[in-house]
Amino acid sequence: MNLVSHTFRLVLREPRRSLAALVGVTIAAALISSVLLFGTASGTTVTRRALAGLPVDAQVVLGPTSDANAALTIVRADPAVKAVTAFELAHFDSAARNSAGTATQTSVGVLIGLDPSYSATTGLFQTSAGSIAPGQVAISRDLASNLGAVPGNSLAFALPGGGSVTLTVSGIVSIAGADLLLGPIDAAHRAAGANSPVNVAVMSRADLEAQVLPRIPATATAADPARGSGATGGTAPVFTPDPAVRRELHIQLDHAQLPGDPVAAQTWLDTVRRRVEKQGAGSLQWVDDASASLEPLAADLAWGQILFVFLALPGILLALALSRLAADATADATRRHAALLRARGANRNQLRRIFMGATVVTAGVGSVLGVVLGTAIGLGLFGAELISAGPVEAILRAGGIAILLTTILASLSAVLPLRAQLREEIAAGRQELQRARAPLWQRLFLDVLALVAGVVVYVIAGGSGIHPVLNAEGNPTVTLALTSFLAPLLFWSGGTLLLLRLVGGVLRRSSWLAKALGRLLGAGGELAGRSLTARAVAASRAIVVLALAVSFATSVLVFDATYRQQQRIDAELTLGADLKAVPSSPATVADVAHLAGPGVGTATPFVDRVVYVGPEAQDLLAIDSAVLPGVAPLADSFFQGSTAAGAMRALQARPDAILVSAETAKDYSIVPGDRIRVRVPDASGVLKTVEFTMAGVALEFPTAPKDAFLVANLSYVAAQTGNDRISFVLARANGDAGSVASTVATRLGSGWQVTDLGTTTARIANSITSVDLSGLVLLDVAFAVSIAAVGVALFLLAGLSERRRELATLVAIGAESRQIRASLLGETLFVGIAGLATGLVIGGLVGLALLQILAGVFDPPAEVAAIPAGLLAAMTLVVIAALGAALALADRGLARLSVVAALRER
Amino acid sequence: MSVISCRHLTRRYVQRGIDPVVAVDAVDLDVEPGTFVAVEGPSGSGKTTLLGLLAGLEVADEGQVIVLGHDLAHLSGTDRARLRQRQVGIVFQSFGLIASLRAWENIALPLALAGVPAGERRRRSLAVLEEVDLNHAAEARIDELSGGERQRVGVARALVIEPAIILADEPTGSLDEGNAAGVLVLLTDAVRRRGASLVLVTHDPASAALADQRFRMRDGRLTAGVPA
Repeated sequence: MNLVSHTFRLVLREPRRSLAALVGVTIAAALISSVLLFGTASGTTVTRRALAGLPVDAQVVLGPTSDANAALTIVRADPAVKAVTAFELAHFDSAARNSAGTATQTSVGVLIGLDPSYSATTGLFQTSAGSIAPGQVAISRDLASNLGAVPGNSLAFALPGGGSVTLTVSGIVSIAGADLLLGPIDAAHRAAGANSPVNVAVMSRADLEAQVLPRIPATATAADPARGSGATGGTAPVFTPDPAVRRELHIQLDHAQLPGDPVAAQTWLDTVRRRVEKQGAGSLQWVDDASASLEPLAADLAWGQILFVFLALPGILLALALSRLAADATADATRRHAALLRARGANRNQLRRIFMGATVVTAGVGSVLGVVLGTAIGLGLFGAELISAGPVEAILRAGGIAILLTTILASLSAVLPLRAQLREEIAAGRQELQRARAPLWQRLFLDVLALVAGVVVYVIAGGSGIHPVLNAEGNPTVTLALTSFLAPLLFWSGGTLLLLRLVGGVLRRSSWLAKALGRLLGAGGELAGRSLTARAVAASRAIVVLALAVSFATSVLVFDATYRQQQRIDAELTLGADLKAVPSSPATVADVAHLAGPGVGTATPFVDRVVYVGPEAQDLLAIDSAVLPGVAPLADSFFQGSTAAGAMRALQARPDAILVSAETAKDYSIVPGDRIRVRVPDASGVLKTVEFTMAGVALEFPTAPKDAFLVANLSYVAAQTGNDRISFVLARANGDAGSVASTVATRLGSGWQVTDLGTTTARIANSITSVDLSGLVLLDVAFAVSIAAVGVALFLLAGLSERRRELATLVAIGAESRQIRASLLGETLFVGIAGLATGLVIGGLVGLALLQILAGVFDPPAEVAAIPAGLLAAMTLVVIAALGAALALADRGLARLSVVAALRER
Repeated sequence: MSVISCRHLTRRYVQRGIDPVVAVDAVDLDVEPGTFVAVEGPSGSGKTTLLGLLAGLEVADEGQVIVLGHDLAHLSGTDRARLRQRQVGIVFQSFGLIASLRAWENIALPLALAGVPAGERRRRSLAVLEEVDLNHAAEARIDELSGGERQRVGVARALVIEPAIILADEPTGSLDEGNAAGVLVLLTDAVRRRGASLVLVTHDPASAALADQRFRMRDGRLTAGVPA
C-alpha cells in the first residue's frame, strides 16, 4: 500500500473534510502573519515618529580652521539633506549678576549664536518672555532662576581662557528639546550619559561672533563640570574635553528616504555620514543625533512585537482550536474513509500514518493559504508602511514564522481527535452516548491550579508592566516585565478550562433546557434542547470557542478604548485642550473671538508667564476659571485636598486667589489663606510685585510643567500688571480635532499657530505608545468574529454529521422542515447567547487585566477603563449576523440530506 | 379504494461517470385497506427505495403514487411530512430511535411533532408501550434496552399516531430469530387490530409468509407472487 498516494487521495477525495480542516489553520496563519506584518509596519511608524520629533538629525562640527562655506556646499549637495542651518556655541565657565552690591554666580553653561531663521526651521529656542534683542541675550529659565535674573539685568560671563563678556538679558528662552545639541560632542562622553548644560544664553550668531568669540583663545577647552564641582574622579572616566567654541551646521534629512526598520534606518544614516565625512576629508565631523534616537527603538520594537502577538494570542489559539471542531464536524468522513481503507487491507498503523499525513498536508496547505490571506490583509491595511520597511523581507519573515508555527500546532491539535476517531473505527462503530472518562486536565484540576497560579503571579509581579525609563543617551525607552504576560496567560488558560468544565457540567445535568427551548420554538426547540444535552461535550466546546472569540474581541476593544482614552488625557494635559492657538504677534483677550466659527465649541484665553516667587522662576498660569473647565480636562486628582470644581470655585471666590504647586507650598510653608508676593512682568517686561491669596494646591494642570507653577485669575493678573497680553487660546473642538484644527488654522491665517491633540499625541508618545493600535484592533476583531462564525458553523455541521440518521428518522416520522430548522435555531440560540454573554463578561475582565501591562506608561495612569459601548454593540451584531450565516450554512447542509440514504447507514 | 396506488413508478440514481441506476423500474402496486402486503427481494433490489417513494421521502422520476387519496407529486414537502406525521407510521430495520430520549419520549415524538399537548402525549405513549409489553421500560434510556426491546419501541412509535398505513423496512433484520418472530407477530397483530394496512419489505421469506399479498422485487421490477 502506497501511503503517500493514499494520503493525497484522502485529502482530495474528502473535500468536505479537507476544507473544514483548512479553515482553522488558514485563519490562524492569516492572523499570525498579519500581526507580524503589523509589527513591521509599526516599526516604520515608530521610526518616523521618533525622528519627526527630532529638531535636528545631525550636527556637522567644523574643525577650527575649516572653511564654513565649503562645508556648507558639501553638506547641501548631499541628496539625503533637506535643510542646513548654521549654529555656534561657546562655553562659559561661570555667569554672575551683581545687584545692589550682592553678587550671584552660577557654574558652567553655554552661549549660543543663532541665525534669525534657526528657531523657525528647528522649532528650538523659542522665547517665552521678551525676545533675543540685538546685542543682548535671552536666557534659559534655569539660568534666570539660578541668578535671579530678569529681563533688563546685566550678566557677566567668565569665558574659557580667562576672558569675560557682559551682556544684557532681553528675554527668557525655552531650551526644551535641545539636550542633544547642547551636550558634549565626544561619543564616549555622550554614551556615558553626560548631562546637557541648563545655564544657556541665546543671542544672534552675528553678536556671538562679534562680542564673544574674539575673547576666547583658539586652543581653549570647556571646563569639565564634574571636575569643577570637586568630584574626586579617582575612578571616573576621562573624556576628551569639548572645545570652548563649536561651529556647527545643523542638518535636517529627507525622512521620506529613510527605511522603516530602525536598524535599516541606522544603516542608512551611517551611509549618509560616511558619504559627507568622505567629501569633507577631515574638515568636518558628523554627529549622528538621529541614530542616537533610533538606538533604543529596535529593542522597544521587539517588546512591542511581543505585546502585539500577545494581544492576538487568544485569537491564534482559538483558530487552532477550530481544527478540533473541524475534526468533529468531519468525523463521519474520517470513519467512512478509514473503513474503506481497512476493507482494502490497511492495518492500524498504516491507517494512522495516512490520516496523520493528510492532517499535516492540510495544515501545510492551510498555512500557505493563511499566509497569502494575511499578507493581502497586511498590505491592504499597512501597505505604505510595509513598503518603506522592505516588503519582501517582511513578508518572507512573517510568512515563514506563520507557516512553521501553524503547521506544527494545527497538526498536533488535529491528531488527538483523529486518534480517538480511528480507535472508534477500529472498534467497529461509535457509541452515540459515550460515558467518556473526564479528560486528564479535569481530573488533575489544571483549570483551578492555573487560576490560582495566575493570582499568585499577579500579586507577586503586581505593578510590573511596561515602564518608560531614560537610556544612557537620555532617550525615553521602555522596559517590559515578562511576568506581566504570565498572569493574564494563566488567567486566560485557566478561565478557558474552567468555562469548559462548567458549561459541560451544566449541559449534562439539565433538563430545563429542552423545556425552555420547547416553549420558545415548539417541538423543534425541544429537540434542540435534547440534542444539546446529548452533545454536551461538543456544545460546550462550541460555547467556549464562541465565548473566547467574543472575549478576545471585547478585551482588545476595551484595551484599545482605554489606551486611546489615556493617550487623549495625556495629550490634553500637555496641550491643554482639543486645540491650542498661539498668536505670533501680541494678542489680547478680545482676540479669542477670532477662533469662533464652525467646529469650535468653547474657547478661552490662557496666559503662561514666567514669574518669580522669591528668586525662583515659575510659570504663572492665568485663566478664566469659569470657562476653562468646559474647555480643558480638569480631573479631581489634579488638586490636593479638593476637587476640580472646588478648586475652580476657590479661584472664583476671590479675584486674587492663587493655586500653588505642592512643591511651592512645601518649600515656602504656605497654607490656604496666606498672602503670597509674586513678581510678574508688566506690559513692558518690568517685574511688578503682585499680591495673591493662596487658595489651594494644584498637583497637575493643563499645559503646566511638572514641578513649579501657579494658577491665578487672568482678569486679576491683567489688572494688576496692566498687561493684558495672552499667551494662547485653548478651545474645545466639536468633532475631529485634527480637521477642526486645519479649518481654524486656515481661517486664522499665518498670524496663529494652531496645534491639535493628534499632533500632540504623536509628539509626546514614547516608542510603543506612538503606535496606532487601530490596525491591530481591526485585525483582531475581524478574526475573532470569523473564528466565532466558523466555530459555530462547525458545531452545527458536526451536529448534522453526527446526527444524520437521527435527522433522517425525524423527517421520516413526520418532522416538518421548519421543525428541523427550529431545532438548529434552538441550538444556535443557546450556543450564541451563552457564548456571547460569557464572552462579553470575560472579555471585559481580561481587558482590565491587560491594562496592568501598560501601568506606568500614561500620566496620569488609567483609573477607569473605557467601555466602547457602540463598538461592542456593533461587534455583537456582527457576531449575531455571523451566527446567522453559520445557521444558513447548516440549513443548506440539511436541505442536501438524503433521508433514505441516511436511513440505510448502519 | 386503495390506500396506496402506484402507477409506472420509476426512480433512477444518476452518478457522475457511472451509468444511471434504475432502483425502482415502472412499478405498479395497489394496497387495499386493512391488508398486509409483503415485498420480498435480495439486498439492492430496490425495496427500500420503493418504501421511500411510498412514504414521500423520495420523489419519483416517473409515474404516480397516490397515498390515502393524495397524489404525492402534488403535495408540498410540508404536506408530505404532515401526512406521515398523522397517517403513516414507519418502522426501521435499525430502529431509528433518538439516543438522547427515553423510551416513552421516543414514542411520543410523532405526537410532539404534530403538536399534541404534553399530557396527552405521555398518556398515549404509555398506553402503546403497554400494548408492546414494555410498560416497565418507559423511563429507560435507549442504550439500556435490548435489540428486541428497541424494535418494540420502534413499533410503538409507529402505532402511537393510530396510522392508516404502516411501512416497515426489514423490521426484524437486526434481530435474532426469537426476537424477530415476536416483533413481527406484535406488529401484525397491532396493525390488524387497528384495521390499518401494512407494507413490509423484507428478504426473509418467513416474514413475508404472514402477508395477505406477496410481491417479489428484483432489479427494481416488482412482480406478484411467491418467489421461486
